[in-house]
Amino acid sequence: MVLIEYSELEMLISRIREISGFDFSGYARPSLLRRASRYLTRHDMNVEELMQHIEPGGGIVYDLIQEMTVNYSEMFRDPEFFIKVKSEVFSYLESYPTLRFWVAGCASGEEAFSLAILLKEAGFLERSLIYATDLNNRVLNAAREGVFTLSSTRTFSENYLLASGKGSLSDYYHVAYSKAVISPELRKNIVFSLHDLTGDGVFNEFQFISCRNVMIYFTLELRQKVFKLLYDSLSMLGFLCLGKRETLRYSGIENNFKVIDSTLNIYQKIQ
Amino acid sequence: MKAVNGDALSLVLIGGSSGSFAIFEEILTLLVRPISFALVFVLHRGKSSVSVLPELFRNKTDISMSEPHHLDRIDSNRIYFAYPDYHLLIGPDRRFYYDLSEKDFFSRPSIDATFISAAMSGIPVKAACLFSGSSADGAFGMKLLADRGFATYVQNPAEAESARMPSEALKLWGKHSILNRNTFSTAMQNIIY
Repeated sequence: MVLIEYSELEMLISRIREISGFDFSGYARPSLLRRASRYLTRHDMNVEELMQHIEPGGGIVYDLIQEMTVNYSEMFRDPEFFIKVKSEVFSYLESYPTLRFWVAGCASGEEAFSLAILLKEAGFLERSLIYATDLNNRVLNAAREGVFTLSSTRTFSENYLLASGKGSLSDYYHVAYSKAVISPELRKNIVFSLHDLTGDGVFNEFQFISCRNVMIYFTLELRQKVFKLLYDSLSMLGFLCLGKRETLRYSGIENNFKVIDSTLNIYQKIQ
Repeated sequence: MKAVNGDALSLVLIGGSSGSFAIFEEILTLLVRPISFALVFVLHRGKSSVSVLPELFRNKTDISMSEPHHLDRIDSNRIYFAYPDYHLLIGPDRRFYYDLSEKDFFSRPSIDATFISAAMSGIPVKAACLFSGSSADGAFGMKLLADRGFATYVQNPAEAESARMPSEALKLWGKHSILNRNTFSTAMQNIIY
């Protein structure tokens, strides 16, 4: 395992910013340290070598950025979350003629597809639009394709059943060349788009934002800025969902929300 | 990120996998007085594990236990458990950080992730212990902690329910102290108090 010290990480962050313009300075250091170390280990090089390889026009810096920003997700991750959304959130949504959902930090689309299935089974999908955004172009392209390995669909299927899905997950994909392809019907209400939570602004108003396990990337300071963006993007009485280990504590907007579920971190904007 | 000075904080790190649960329980029952450090347990668990360890272990000790949230401060005289399906990292600013990168040795939480982050954090590690388990997770972190001059202990592989984990740690670094069954309580008490 190739290790990297915090001081070296700061140098790496500066170098990446110089070469690519991508700024990691608001990203949580312990996680970056681990990811940089894994990158070096996998490519069998030390920090000095990496710094030399990062040059204008080269692909390495983008490869590294992807590696340091990628998130591993599953469809119906935390099945009980989806059960809770059905029981606590959907009743509020019934009165809206059109519904806008935002999956902020959508990675390869797992959460967006899960939400689409949930909406479909509740009869909401036809009047819903799901915006799914990420800053990582590579995962976003994967999301647009909606292709998963068959082994990952096994996990997804288990999760789906635990989330009280009404049918079988295979109702929503077909198998081609030993891969699972999400059905076009599910995808037609999802818009995948590039968006950087740390730099880009409000682009619509939503009744529901899922931003699970994304805040863990950011420093305390940058987090507050991102929380403000999410707050500004929510309609009154709209819902904000965070990951299981995240909370609204230190967010700067904690007083504007009512807690719907403190374990699963579902909040409703009340002022 | 700057390290935080001020009140002294030190860590005791304990890692284990299959066959370690009962040992963790035993260690907790030895905590009969306040402890001068933060105690961090990393136990491999399935992602769907719903058991809340602080509740499960409630009757074992009076010291406050929790599964921390992201950015929670690390305090002395408290016990923390890594949460399923996330890596638990220790920051130089004395806060916990979660990470959702790949698994190490098919495990998330991984013991290496926590132990390595502790070694890099600059926070003194009073002791690190590794117990029974069936993968090589933890071996690298243990060696790193030993390299940095911290006390490291592994369960005697011959007495572990799954010998692989302590064996791999000893293979990578032969000088970890060995914890034997017949002197376990005394040895742990000496580490803790």
